[in-house]
Formats: sequence, structure tokens, C-alpha cells
Amino acid sequence: MIPGAPEPLQRLVAELGKLPGVGERSALRLAFHILRAKDGYAGTLADAIRGAVERVRLCSVCCALTEADPCALCADPRRDASLVCVVEGVADMLAVERTREFRGRYHVLHGALSPLDGVGPEQLRVKELLARIGAPDAPREVILATNPDIEGEATALYLTRLLRPAGVRVTRIAQGIPMGGDLEYADQATLIRALSSRRDA
Amino acid sequence: MQILRIEVCDFRNLGLVQEAPHARFTVISGENGQGKTNLLEAVYYSLCLRPLRPTHGAELVRSGSGRASIQLLLSRGAVTETIEVSVTASGRELRLNGKAAVDLDRWFSGTAVVAFTPEDLSLVRGGPERRRRFLDRAVFTRWPLFLAESRDYHRLLRSRNRILAEGGPASVRESFEGPLARAGARVVTRRRAWLTEVAKPLAGAFDQIARIPHGLTTLYRGPPEGDEGRVEDWLRGELSRRAESDQERGFTSVGPHIDDLRFSFGNLDAHRFASQGQARALVLALKIAEIENLKEQLGFSPLLLLDDVSSELDPDRNRQLLDYLGSLSGQVLLTTTDPEPLLVRLGGRSALWRVTAGSVVAE
Repeated sequence: MIPGAPEPLQRLVAELGKLPGVGERSALRLAFHILRAKDGYAGTLADAIRGAVERVRLCSVCCALTEADPCALCADPRRDASLVCVVEGVADMLAVERTREFRGRYHVLHGALSPLDGVGPEQLRVKELLARIGAPDAPREVILATNPDIEGEATALYLTRLLRPAGVRVTRIAQGIPMGGDLEYADQATLIRALSSRRDA
Repeated sequence: MQILRIEVCDFRNLGLVQEAPHARFTVISGENGQGKTNLLEAVYYSLCLRPLRPTHGAELVRSGSGRASIQLLLSRGAVTETIEVSVTASGRELRLNGKAAVDLDRWFSGTAVVAFTPEDLSLVRGGPERRRRFLDRAVFTRWPLFLAESRDYHRLLRSRNRILAEGGPASVRESFEGPLARAGARVVTRRRAWLTEVAKPLAGAFDQIARIPHGLTTLYRGPPEGDEGRVEDWLRGELSRRAESDQERGFTSVGPHIDDLRFSFGNLDAHRFASQGQARALVLALKIAEIENLKEQLGFSPLLLLDDVSSELDPDRNRQLLDYLGSLSGQVLLTTTDPEPLLVRLGGRSALWRVTAGSVVAE
């Protein structure tokens, strides 16, 4: 509520303030910026928001965000369909994709198992993943790239037990010291994990 | 480590406090309810990032203010550093030498604080959660990483309990049981490692305080003895075996959150048969053993915070405690309603602060 501000401005500030990481002060700053901007910026922004909401949906195969279904990645014949990397979110997928190393496909769960937040398997895109394992061009290997935190680990365990009986190879990404990192600066939990999952040189 | 300067602003009932504590003893005196303990708590909270007493949502920020802050100028090892904690409605902010700090390993390095509060005196005759809290605090002081390990364990435990309460599928429950057993084994192993380290100083200190040998034995009542892997396997087996009965009760019935620390004199269960004097001697001995162990393992004397302990001990034990504290080289902050006897014993190695209605004056 900004006393004295016109009602449409109040509404705009209230809506912007619902965005994550945006407090009332930032919302007000953004609103002023939109109002003052030239060349029909406000119209372009509104169109962009509406367009994204109307045209972006989940890929029916990998559940990533896409305009065309299946998404460009799933439709690309050069991508190796026998290898599927399972991630918690679209941002994780983009992070793996930035490496340009991974030539397989993805599956986006849209979260991790979290009883404390009321997230069970039904809230995740697990059914869709199982469907892919049962399909004619099923992957030979599923790489579990969920986060190395409590919920991500539990999700990886859950999927391992679910997928192994289906005859697919299930692997988990390695954890430890970051590349280019300095042992001296690694946090102790990471060091302990790295030591316990050491391998022969 | 040594605190060179304390600055507190709007923490609990404290207004603005800016004082330099004595290198050895700082006696914080005042009537009850004036803010003596809050001052100790400010020091403990900023160094350990957890409350000194179980608070249950008590306000850290002074009423009428939006922000509490605690700043300590510390001498740790060869360096002088500033740590600052500020608390607002939106959360806690840490600054180390003026820069936003996220690395807790760094925050806790070179730091060890042992607190002694009246609550500790019911350690022997009180319930098991008292002893677990004591143990976990001591383990954290010895290995600060335990803070994260214990937090992981409790998050996993709450996750399993939620699945049990909501009747979630077994496949989901089992996915949390593996990590829960692993985190639980870590907690149990840390606690046992600490008990092994202090076993000798504890027996020595107790016999010295009690003056007659009691044949004190300490038992960690929990999973069968074994290395961390064996404990993990055992816990995983128990969690799975108890799944059904735990489901009926709606909570997890095995693990470090159930374990207990038991003391006995010869064949006598100390929790049932110890006299008030014996029980207090044991608590005193535990604290001394903790301090001695920290000195040996870390190579320096921990900071000691004593909250009105003198009034709870008889004159004889009080003298033993003060003699012991006098023999240490570290810094001690202690609160009392009756400073004179303490000042007489401590002589020139002490400073006196008076706390009245949230303000502190050094004399």
C-alpha cells in the first residue's frame, strides 16, 4: 500500500511485489521504470509475459519448458536417446547443457521429494520418466543429477529403486571438490564426502 | 581466543553496550531480570550462532527496535578479527571483518566456548533430552562441523516422521531411511568419539571433586558399539524393522534423538541414587573434563561463560570451581547477583560490570 498513489499504480506494485526476491521498494522502482519507459516498452513487456504464459508448456517427453512439443532437444536426432540425465529443474538442465559435453537427453522432475514441503512422487514428473523407460526407444542409462542435498539424495535413491528393476542402468553424478578449486578452501562436509568416495588413481 | 571488545545493540533487553572485558575474569553483576544472562547469551549467540538456552521463539530483538546486533573484536590465534551478527525480522546476517560471511567453517575456526548454566545442574537427575543437549553442545564445540551434521539428521528425521504421520508410500519412506541411518550413525559416532576423549579427564576430575573414588562409569545408551558403517547398517535395519510400529505411533522410535547418556557409581545408577552433592560434582567434573579436553585438542583454553552458577553450588564446590578456573589461562565471563566474594577470590585479575535495566557499566 503506497498512500496517495493512484490505484492502477498500486495494483502494478502489488503484482510486481509478488515476484520472488522483489520487495515493496523494488516493486515500486520497477513500476516507476515501466511507467517512464519510452517506445511502448510496457506494451512489449505485457505481450512478452502473455506470450510466454500462453505458448510455453512442458515437453510431453522430457517435461522441460518448450514452445513446440516435443521440445527441440527431444526432437534433435543427433542427441543420444539412450542416455537420459534426470534433473530437478530447468535451471539445472541449462547448467548441464552449457557444458556442451553432454550429448544425451534430459528429464526434468520439477522438484525433489520433500515430505516437509508436501512433495511426493505424484507432485514430480516421475510417471513421465517411467513411461520413457517402458517406451520402444527406451534409454540404456539414466544419470541421476539431482542436487547433493537431503531431498536430492532421497530422490536419487527413490528413482534408483524404481528404475533398476526395469533393467536400465542407473548412475549418480559424482560429488566432491570442484574443479579448479583449492582443497584449502573446500568446505569440510565436501572434503569428507570427497575422501569417503575416493577412487584408485 | 580472547574477546577484546563487546558491542551489543538492542539484543533482548540490552540497549547499547560497549565494553572491553578483562583478559581473565569479568564479573557481570546485577539483580535478577536486569540483563546479565542476556549479555552472556549475546556473546554465546554471536560465536556459536545458536541460543544459549532453548528459547522457543523468544524475541532476540529488543522490543521497539527493528534490529539487534552483536559485534565482537576477537583475538584468535595470531590474528585480530571482528565478527558481527545482526538479527532482523527477515533473518540473520553475518559479517566477518566487515564482509558478508557465509563460510561457517571460517566463522567457528579458532573458537571454542563452554557455557555453564543453572540448567546444567539438572543434567544427572533430569530427563534424557537434557543430557543429549549437553552432549551435542559439547560435540559441536569440539567439532563445529557437527552443527551441519546434526541439522541434516534432524531434517531427515522430521521428513521420515512426516511420511509416517501422513501414511506416505513405503518406497518414499525407505528413500529417506538410508540417508537417515547414515546421518544418525554420524551423530552417534561423534558423540561416542567425544565421550572417549573425555573419559580420562572426567574420571580424574570427578574423584578429585568428590574426594572419594566412586568408580564412575559412563555409558552411551544407543546402537551397539561399532564403527560408523556398522552403526549405519544397524540403524537402517532397525528403521526398516520398526516401520510398522513407528507408523502406528507416528514417530521414529530409534536413533540418536532417543539415545541417552547414563552414569553409574560402581553398580549404582547415578540418575536414581546420586545425592544432590554427587550429581553437582558430576556436572562440575563434566565441564572440567570438557575444558581440559578442548585445551589438549585445540591447544588453547576455551572461553568460559558461567551463568549464575555460584549461587547454585555449596561453598565447598564453589571454592573448587573457582580454584580450577583460577588455574586456567583462558577468559571467563560470569554472572552473579553477589559479586563481592568472587572479587575477593579473583583479586586483581578481574573486572566488574554492573547491569541495570539493560545497560552495562564497567567499574
